[in-house]
Amino acid sequence: MRTRPVRIDQVIPSIVERDAVSHHTLEAQRVLHSMGFVSEIYACSMGPGLAGRVHPLSQLPREEPERQWVCYQASIGSPAADAVISHPGLKLVDYHNISPSELIERWMPQLADEVRVGRRQLAELAPVVELAFADSEFNRAELEAAGYRNTMVAPLMVDTANFYSPPDPQVGRRLEAVRALGGHDWLFVGQMLPHKAHHDVIKALACARNLFDPKARLHLVGRESCASYADALRRFVSALELTAAVEFVGSISPGELSAYYTSVDVLVCCSDHEGFCVPLLEAMHHRLPVVAYGVAAVPETLLDAGIVLPSKSPVLVAAAVERVLTDHDLHDSLVSAGLRRTRSFTVEGARRAFARAIEQALQAA
Amino acid sequence: MTSEVVAEIEDQVRQMRETGQVTPELEDELDRCFEEVAEASLAERALVTARGPESGSGDPIAGLAGRMGLSQLRRQAAAMARRRLGPSFRRLERRAAVGATRLGEALSIRVHVTADHLERLAARSPRASRVLSAARPGESASVAGTMHPSIEGPLLAWVVERLSAAVPNGAQEAAGLVLHAECGDGRVVEALAARGFQARGADPGAAARADGDSRIVAAGALEYLGATVSGTLDGLLLTGVVDRLRPGDGRVLAQLAARCLAPGGVVVLVSARPEAVVALDPVAADLAHRRPLHPVTWCHLLARYGLSVLAVFEPETSEPDLFAISAQRLAPALVAGRGDA
Repeated sequence: MRTRPVRIDQVIPSIVERDAVSHHTLEAQRVLHSMGFVSEIYACSMGPGLAGRVHPLSQLPREEPERQWVCYQASIGSPAADAVISHPGLKLVDYHNISPSELIERWMPQLADEVRVGRRQLAELAPVVELAFADSEFNRAELEAAGYRNTMVAPLMVDTANFYSPPDPQVGRRLEAVRALGGHDWLFVGQMLPHKAHHDVIKALACARNLFDPKARLHLVGRESCASYADALRRFVSALELTAAVEFVGSISPGELSAYYTSVDVLVCCSDHEGFCVPLLEAMHHRLPVVAYGVAAVPETLLDAGIVLPSKSPVLVAAAVERVLTDHDLHDSLVSAGLRRTRSFTVEGARRAFARAIEQALQAA
Repeated sequence: MTSEVVAEIEDQVRQMRETGQVTPELEDELDRCFEEVAEASLAERALVTARGPESGSGDPIAGLAGRMGLSQLRRQAAAMARRRLGPSFRRLERRAAVGATRLGEALSIRVHVTADHLERLAARSPRASRVLSAARPGESASVAGTMHPSIEGPLLAWVVERLSAAVPNGAQEAAGLVLHAECGDGRVVEALAARGFQARGADPGAAARADGDSRIVAAGALEYLGATVSGTLDGLLLTGVVDRLRPGDGRVLAQLAARCLAPGGVVVLVSARPEAVVALDPVAADLAHRRPLHPVTWCHLLARYGLSVLAVFEPETSEPDLFAISAQRLAPALVAGRGDA
């Protein structure tokens, strides 16, 4: 066993409130403290509520390699990765996936540059990193492909604020009034970014209204992070004459999100890339059946707790949603399986897995 | 079990296709329709960004594409090099920078005055305009980054006071719209909102932060102001970007600020003093990239684009390395009055 360091610091490109990777990093700090390490978080940028808990990257100490290790939370291209590469301490990487640039290039060329840099930095880190852990098997496979020798899965320490927030009564009442008009309500939760493929959910809704459920509606929850894509979606909805059937909800509070989860009938996900996809867990926790395109880490997150489709042909997605909503036995079995699946992602379990990862690094030759 | 269900659903869809219940045209038409609107949206966005729109649709503070600056990589590399070179190099560097900046002050103003002359010449002569266009470097783009001067204490009080002088804060009438361009962590946006302004922020790092604050959009200052509808801002606070301008972008920024402000609107600009760039950390992290301009140069640029400079804040003790300027876009009647005088 190598010398136990005094401190294990974490480095993250950007840390903010209400963000999955940021929450994971804060939880990881708690785990490291509980293991007896001095542990601080250093970031290039931080949300206003985290001042004091997180330090600027420029203040990252450079102690003797035996005294200090550095754990890098990798999710995008950042100068933080260079700071880690040049740091004298033993290095760990916690990988949360980086979206492929080709899915973003057309809409957000500059962000595509950033993710390309991120992929390059991930490969540059490989030879100098002692142990890399990923929050899904899919992500772990990507680490191996990038040249990492020692890898393991340590699940995301999920923020349960969206699980247990009481539903906002005002939003709940409004949605109930809409439901009284008949037809089923679909939901998709995710930032309005092109690789989340909101347009494919809209296509599926159009088919569903045409073939099965003329009054079906879709609620799109998530911040509009790409103006041109959001604009295209609005034009698309208008061109399909679905303006009254598609709601662009935007970014909302945990209570409001909870109201959506408890008031709609199904979560539909046609994303082209997900490193984990927390909304799938949130939906299952709220007893909502899930229909999803089985790409990247989505099948691993859902397992048998949702309908995982091999393609996202709009008719296939529409037919799957119709089946889930009309086959009550299937609906109930999906809800039960979803609850079981959610329970397997406890924060305590994820904390233990992270601690095991650190112990494994300590024991590595 | 679910794989069996999926197989059944696929069978059902296959049958629907075979019986003609679902025609190939249905999905093809959806694909074609989305491609059309996608092309239209991308083309329109490109046009708006290139032109700096005279008109636009919806909320002028609508979100732009999320972006993070590649310049961060260069900045960090410079910071690491500086740390290794030690304090003696920093002292030497500061002395050299002070000398160079004093020379640069005079030169900077002269360059901008000369540029004004060239622009007037180009306006009078199409041939000169062609020659100057050919000689000009590529279009300016926003320079992304996340280093921001700290606005607090007396400086924050001064900023709020200057904005309050011209922008309604909602106490008696509708709150005025104040944008903090390159707002960093959004702290000043929060402070302005707490004082009753309709405060919004834009910052290139906002997309990466994903903190759910809908008041802050992901965009650099030049990019954002370029896409903002003319005359829609009551107040504009510029920080960060003003220290990292590429040659020529100071003019672009002043022009955009003047265009975006409503008559009577106020712009407040906070910048590092050029001679202080190496004294400030983390400003010192990237001397090669940051190019703060002298207060006198900013006064010249703001006046050049029709903004009337109201006050200059140059603290002696609390933030000796920062200065601030407030300038107002005068209402047409006042401009006319001033001209008559």
